[in-house]
Amino acid sequence: MRKVIVVAVREYQAAVKTKAFIISLVALPLLWGGLFAVQMLLKDKVDTKDKRFAVLDYTGQIAGPIVESAQKRNAKNIYEGEDPARAQVAPRYLVTVIEPTNSDLSTTTFELSERVRKNDFMAFVVIGPDVFQPDAPESARAAITYHSNMPTYDDIQKWLREPINDRIRDLRLKAANLDPAIVAEVTKRVAVQNLGLVEKDAQGNITKAEKTNELANIFVPMGLMMLMVMVITVGATPLMQSVLEEKTLRIAEVLLGSVPPFQLMMGKLIGMVGVSLTIATVYLSASFVAVHQAGLDHLFPRHVIWWFVVFQAFAVLMFGALFISVGAAVTDIKEAQSLMMPLMLMIMSPLFIWLNVVKEPTSTMALAASLFPPATPMLMTLRLVVPPGVPLWQPMLGLALMVFTTIVFVFAAGRIFRVGILMQGKGAKVSEMFRWVFRG
Amino acid sequence: MNVIEIENVTKTFGEFVAVNDLSLAVPQGSIYGFIGPNGSGKTTTLRMIMRIYHPDRGQGVIRVLGETAHGAANERIGYLPEERGLYKKMKVRDIVRFYAELKGCRDFKERVAKWLDRMDLASWADKKVETLSKGMSQKVQFISAVISDPELVILDEPFSGLDPVNADVLRESVLELRRNGSTVIFSTHDMAVAEKMCDFIFMIYKGNKVLDGTLDAIQSRYGQDTIRVRVEGNGSFDPGRLDGIEHVTDFGRLQELRVSPGTDTQDVLGALMRHGRVTHFEMTRPSLHDIFVRIARPEVEGASKSAAQSSVRKEPARA
Repeated sequence: MRKVIVVAVREYQAAVKTKAFIISLVALPLLWGGLFAVQMLLKDKVDTKDKRFAVLDYTGQIAGPIVESAQKRNAKNIYEGEDPARAQVAPRYLVTVIEPTNSDLSTTTFELSERVRKNDFMAFVVIGPDVFQPDAPESARAAITYHSNMPTYDDIQKWLREPINDRIRDLRLKAANLDPAIVAEVTKRVAVQNLGLVEKDAQGNITKAEKTNELANIFVPMGLMMLMVMVITVGATPLMQSVLEEKTLRIAEVLLGSVPPFQLMMGKLIGMVGVSLTIATVYLSASFVAVHQAGLDHLFPRHVIWWFVVFQAFAVLMFGALFISVGAAVTDIKEAQSLMMPLMLMIMSPLFIWLNVVKEPTSTMALAASLFPPATPMLMTLRLVVPPGVPLWQPMLGLALMVFTTIVFVFAAGRIFRVGILMQGKGAKVSEMFRWVFRG
Repeated sequence: MNVIEIENVTKTFGEFVAVNDLSLAVPQGSIYGFIGPNGSGKTTTLRMIMRIYHPDRGQGVIRVLGETAHGAANERIGYLPEERGLYKKMKVRDIVRFYAELKGCRDFKERVAKWLDRMDLASWADKKVETLSKGMSQKVQFISAVISDPELVILDEPFSGLDPVNADVLRESVLELRRNGSTVIFSTHDMAVAEKMCDFIFMIYKGNKVLDGTLDAIQSRYGQDTIRVRVEGNGSFDPGRLDGIEHVTDFGRLQELRVSPGTDTQDVLGALMRHGRVTHFEMTRPSLHDIFVRIARPEVEGASKSAAQSSVRKEPARA
């Protein structure tokens, strides 16, 4: 056991006491945070150049309200705040009303398209003469079409829906002898608030249900899961590299003269658990301080931290054993990469279904997926952190299955390690690795 | 008492027989030299003693320090492998300390300081291994092998690539290990080192033991069949053409002549004197170098050699 610790300490120091480790520890969140910040900064940095578009209105009753709405919008909605020196954050919409002529629709739309090509305006809308008939058959006469050569810029198209539909509705109501103001009043929608459950406080008073924060309910579990994935990948790669280094530089021979192979491997694994716990501690403390500073203490998932730590430690052992096998079986980094691919996919696999699990943490699918050992550390943590949480037996069962898998993997890795670490020349095939495992 | 006893051990890699039916006994407190051409089985034998390799199933016994079975990890054995490997990014002091701890030394601080000092590495203690020269990292590796004062030290070519000063430092350390009671086995290509340092010499050729014994015993087996001469004058003269001369090793200023059995050396001297001025004429036993070459280059040496070689092979290991 003492030798296991000596190896673990060396492994830990070799991984942690490097500039690369410290840089990556700081750089990764900076990179993510930076990306987020850049996105936030650029979100409102839209092009505020005037946008021109044309309206060809065969009904003669809709173009006017569109122009009015655009003018209202240009006067008010495109600015930030009420200050006269306020910044413009959106482009003005300048509407050209095209009077219908006697020429047929296709000729007219062609002419308008030509004008778009010449940059007279960037889009045009054609409002068919029969749009008021709710039951009109789908035809050009009853359609409203938006034409532009920039299909990905859909702001105008989206904005148009409201003034057009408001106007059509008003006209239809009038035709039916209904007062639009009264209809608007009686059809007003009522929002459904998303609240938690009502509880009793210490004095026995029933407390008000708290408004749930859907964003927090998604981002906190996502953060925890990403942290888990990151800790495993950041810790496992150096582990594989150190085994490869010992193998190619023939350090292994000397080591094996002092430590039995299984103890050597266990030392490495425990060293890596230490590395991963260091990373997790740094990030968890940092995020705790951050949410505390922001006064959002309730967002910090205190109740699952211990589960997180335990799951993470076993995840590192489980995946670390696989990475060690790869390092011992190959002879250079290129060979290693092809074997690492499936391992990485296995680690990342929960990322494909995590959203479904968060939405319905108590579904059978979520339960089954979170009991699949390679996915347990990520998905079970997710399910624990998302309300209402899961009954205790589920994480316990998940942990038991994981411990069992870990033991199997470590045992298999021990056999691959013992043979592979001394093998020179060429890398082992996967079939060979299985033979080492089963023949011993 | 023997520290190592190998009995009838064979090791094959696929079709290739690396070591064939080998028996060897290494007495305690001796320095045992392993010689042999590249690829003849030296390292395989050392690795089997280390139990990094295992002999073919059901073949022979290897008893090391009285034990027939243990893993490669043994705190009583120090090992310097043929291909040196150290963690490049570690500091010299840390790596030596790491190996000392692995070998279970409790007083590693003093030991590390002592050995770094003795090997002239004290000023490099806080440098990373990757900054060391080849010779220096070899010394670091040597320290790692012997820091725990093991009973048995196995060194695979410890002197290769060292300059004379460092070779002296290393040789002195090996001798001190022996003085302190350790048994030392090392392999080498330097016959002069083997001649001067080793109590016993073991030669393996194509997986077979061809020599095993003290230098004296080995040399006497070949008899006094060598004449060392220096002849001044006729530069084009080839002593190999003389009657009774089997082989000539030309060192430039000196030639070693091997005479065939029954040849009168006085006749050789007379013939040499007729070709030039003889300034050196010494009758001696063959050097280890010469014996090595005789065994390892039979195809060049001619038919007479194969007889000598087979006679050696039939000899018992050592009396």
